[in-house]
Amino acid sequence: MTPVAGAPSPGTSPRRRWPTGRVWLALQIVLSASLLLLFLVPIVALFTYAPLSGIASAADNAAVRATIWLTFFASGIAVLAAVVFGIPLGYLLARRRFRGRAIVESFVALPVVVPHLLVGLGLFLVLAIPGSPLYRITQAIGLPVYDTIWGVVLVMVFVSAPYTVLAAELSFQAVDERVIETARSLGAGGATAFLTVTFPLALRGIVAGLLLSWARAVSEIGGLLILAYAVYPGGPYNGPVTSTVSVYIYNLFQIGDLADAASVSSLFLIVAFVLFLVVRLGERSGWVPWRRGELAP
Amino acid sequence: MSHWSVTGLEVDLDHFHLGPVDLELSPGRAVAVLGTSGAGKTTLLRTLAGFLRPSAGRILRDGVDVAAWPPESRRLGYVPQGLGLFPHRTVEGNVRYPIELRTRENPAPRVRELLERFRLTALAHRYPTRLSGGELQRVALARAIAADPELIVWDEPWQALDVLARYELGLVLHDLREVEQIPIVVVTHDPGLAFSVADAFLVLRRGRVQELADAATILHAPSDPFVARFVGFENVFDRPALAGGAPGSLRAWLSERAGPEGVALASPSLRPGGFATPAWDGTVRSARPGPDGVTVEVTADELLVTLRVPPPVTSPLPLLGTRVRFGIDPATVRPLGGAPAGGEAA
Repeated sequence: MTPVAGAPSPGTSPRRRWPTGRVWLALQIVLSASLLLLFLVPIVALFTYAPLSGIASAADNAAVRATIWLTFFASGIAVLAAVVFGIPLGYLLARRRFRGRAIVESFVALPVVVPHLLVGLGLFLVLAIPGSPLYRITQAIGLPVYDTIWGVVLVMVFVSAPYTVLAAELSFQAVDERVIETARSLGAGGATAFLTVTFPLALRGIVAGLLLSWARAVSEIGGLLILAYAVYPGGPYNGPVTSTVSVYIYNLFQIGDLADAASVSSLFLIVAFVLFLVVRLGERSGWVPWRRGELAP
Repeated sequence: MSHWSVTGLEVDLDHFHLGPVDLELSPGRAVAVLGTSGAGKTTLLRTLAGFLRPSAGRILRDGVDVAAWPPESRRLGYVPQGLGLFPHRTVEGNVRYPIELRTRENPAPRVRELLERFRLTALAHRYPTRLSGGELQRVALARAIAADPELIVWDEPWQALDVLARYELGLVLHDLREVEQIPIVVVTHDPGLAFSVADAFLVLRRGRVQELADAATILHAPSDPFVARFVGFENVFDRPALAGGAPGSLRAWLSERAGPEGVALASPSLRPGGFATPAWDGTVRSARPGPDGVTVEVTADELLVTLRVPPPVTSPLPLLGTRVRFGIDPATVRPLGGAPAGGEAA
């Protein structure tokens, strides 16, 4: 509504007006900026607290490199698991109508709502107590989870996969059914139509979901504190005994080593940011496949 | 080219039943499917294309029942509403798609030929979002032809197209039918295109076949108000609208001549004097000059009647609210639905 110029028309009592125009805009800017500032403050604080030499020596420290390597390696496996298991589930939820679909959907949301410490405890009870049958199975097939990289991966998959499932579901839903049907009619079988039309069209949204999953996996700590506080070499990880970056930094904080905690945090942020930037720039420049063409209006 | 024969086709959806539909499509024939929204047009087309399983009946292609075949085996040029172009493929990629699927040979020569034929060569590397409506249309058509279809199935393809693009499309479809002898099933709301492409009209109503007729028949004896409006009658009154007319009124006069569905009449002439009897008085609601005279909308006896003052337009335009007198030639009155109850049969 545009503000009315001049005096109120005769016969109507003057009314208090809502903030209009500039006032309203200023309010929006102030509120938005406050939130953005809150996002920025801790990051700036980390970098100002950590001396540049501290970041450099953290990068030079084998123990720090091991923890960063472990974190990215485990989160990479977790993202792969989200691709393999999450995308089919998202597709199922997007394209099929079945009994109990609502229940399945709330199951997908479960890991987002349940406190992650409880998740770690639950996984510990069922997988890490020597008496439990699942413990024996994991031992027998050579995938023990307690204080191993597999435990880290398991917790990460649990907390991060829902983002991929939800993104995949939304992306598959957004693909125009008539476009898929046309592909079928032009001679593509169900699988071919999926691979040549449905999946490429949904890929952009799915990749966005995978990035979210990855970020969530990397930042996990709650479940790890119980199931994989320390990580011993075994399976694909054969470095020194370490932990994920989040646990590592928590330990430094616990023993009062704030400078090192800030240095490792800063280093970790830089690495994560560079990785993220590479993906985004790739997307922008158009060399990644999901950017080709535009989505249907 | 194949001969298609649809017999006793029925489809059951959650809240909708289609059929039974019987339809013969020999090479070089084209059927326009008409009906209001919800009549079952798209359901019929999707069933032909293989996306819906009929509950009864057969779809025969050269005598072989394909009703249970998957869509990819039916050899159709299916164009859904919205054209169904692949947004992630260029024009060239869209046209190449069906060829890649069907043959291991190099698709390039055939693609080039189709792009040239549909004047798409200059647009080959563009994505569909960068094309105009008419260009999109040509891409969809080129891609459908690339599949070497035995039947072209078009669902309302020329929505929101400009006149030139529609004309062009009409020519192409006509060509496909006449020269390449590909049978065509088409859903459209555009009478101009329907008449230029189709030689038969299947009229659907609430899932049932109202009639299957040629152009002359639906022009002279439209079966229901929808068809009457579709073929260009400007004055269409359904049965309930005519109820309760006082003796000697316009409504009573039309009601006598109406069929069970109502009545349609071509625009009666409004002349200053010298009109046919009977005559009625009305009030002018709108007046609009045009190349074929002045179109005047008049309310008479609670009916809105569209009249035409033939050219040359000499007198000034009738003013809104003016009382006028008009006549209706009884020969222009068409009863709708079933046997004529009066008036004259076409």
